[in-house]
Amino acid sequence: MSLNGDSRIPGTEDVDPAHIVPVQDFSSKTLRSIIDHLKVSTDFEHLVYREAELDAIWTITGFFLANEADSSRREAVKDLHACVHKAHDLVADRRPAAAAMLLQAFL
Amino acid sequence: MLSKEENERLTQTNAGTPAGEYFRRFWVPALLPAEVPTPDCAPVRVRLLGENLIAFRDTNGHVGLIDEFCPHRRASLFWGRNEECGLRCVYHGWKFDVQGTCVDMPNEPQEYGFENKVRIAGYPTCEYGGLVWAYMGPPQHQPELPKLEWARVPEGHRYISKRLQETNYLQAIEGGIDSSHSNYLHATVDAFRLTDSYVEKVKNSNNLRAKYHLLDKAPWFTVKKTDYGLVIGVRRNAEEDQFYWRLTQFLLPSHTIIPYEKGLAIHGHCWVPRDDQTCWTWTISWNPDAPLSEEEWESIRKETFVHARVDPVTFRPIRNKDNQYLLDREQQRGSTMTGIHGFAAQDQALQESMGPIVDRTRERLGTSDTAIIAMRRLLLQEIRGLAEGREPFAAQHGDVYWVRSASLLLKRDVDIGEGARELIKAEV
Repeated sequence: MSLNGDSRIPGTEDVDPAHIVPVQDFSSKTLRSIIDHLKVSTDFEHLVYREAELDAIWTITGFFLANEADSSRREAVKDLHACVHKAHDLVADRRPAAAAMLLQAFL
Repeated sequence: MLSKEENERLTQTNAGTPAGEYFRRFWVPALLPAEVPTPDCAPVRVRLLGENLIAFRDTNGHVGLIDEFCPHRRASLFWGRNEECGLRCVYHGWKFDVQGTCVDMPNEPQEYGFENKVRIAGYPTCEYGGLVWAYMGPPQHQPELPKLEWARVPEGHRYISKRLQETNYLQAIEGGIDSSHSNYLHATVDAFRLTDSYVEKVKNSNNLRAKYHLLDKAPWFTVKKTDYGLVIGVRRNAEEDQFYWRLTQFLLPSHTIIPYEKGLAIHGHCWVPRDDQTCWTWTISWNPDAPLSEEEWESIRKETFVHARVDPVTFRPIRNKDNQYLLDREQQRGSTMTGIHGFAAQDQALQESMGPIVDRTRERLGTSDTAIIAMRRLLLQEIRGLAEGREPFAAQHGDVYWVRSASLLLKRDVDIGEGARELIKAEV
């Protein structure tokens, strides 16, 4: 296990579980990347990175829900927000594959 | 984020709680030797892991750490008389040695031999590295002392301070390993605003930290689990072919070492639960190669960095929440981000503002909180391991603590594990 993380250009690498997915939104692209990383995560360090990514998604969906006026858009994100919470707890319980399966429904 | 149950499991450290039992597998700093300076000196109160204790130095120079209350009528032994190898309760004369064994009970008929049947909690202590350490766990699991570098340097090479922090220990550790706060909490206004004069000054300085923090505001965070805890790596772009790395050490159960620049003093902390609402902050500055320099002593005296002045009896910092840490709003407008003097008080002000035990179900974390997440997961894993019968490895292997932090420039294609291998080994 290296401390280096990954210095390859994002999008061109094979999925590297030692790489933290940059979370700037909760788009399908971001979710897909997190799911792909969840599927190959095994070590303590990998699971910590996945938990951090899911924390970040939970944070931004939470702020979205607090600020979005359109109730239909809020409704759509509410399920994702709740699902990310469950996925986060599955990762904490060292069950990343189960977390990936849960999130798959939102792609 | 943590669940309510996880938050409670991590933050409750009284005897019988999972985290309390975990802490009770390690030697923990208990008091400064100067608090009990001479044989038969006055006893002092020590609150540790939710237990009220009394420390005293007996006639032979041994430090005892025993239950505060006499088992007879529950009077405090703080009022006791320290005499002839024991502490005598002045209410009815019962006397206890450093192990907590009752050695005299003058108010009961001698033929009953009652004193031989009475003992109170008495914990093993050890004077090591400028501190009195205590072990509060089961005797059969007494651990090795951690071979921390600062504990092994000569006296003049080290300075240790003790202060009371009015939060749970976990909040304090989180502050200690959270490297992203220093660009804000400990910054000057010029550094935060990146004024032209500041940029010019930093660009031409030897202060690599300031220089590369300026150039790269979005660092990479990495963690690596080790036998003793975690190495937390933060990587920033530096020169075209180089990264600037800062490596922080987290050592179980609650020690940290701040990244340091070669040739300067190294700084670290140990946070020990006093109870669930407060903790003892032990701050250590050391130089393995030489006595601390006049500049370093000056920084300690002026409280500019990690040490803070405290009340000599309570160890509560002079800057505390009751006086708003002597906040100076004028200074905040023009000079520093907080208007509070010194890194120690700045950290303490913000950490105490979160309440004694922060509700971690309500926090909003991001990927820059990776180190905090890793530390919590590691502690939860260790605590669960002990509850399932696995003794903590680090407690029984003092040698694994023989490490230090680092900061370095490294070619981009060099693995940090390789590049820093020699640097993160302690020398003393």
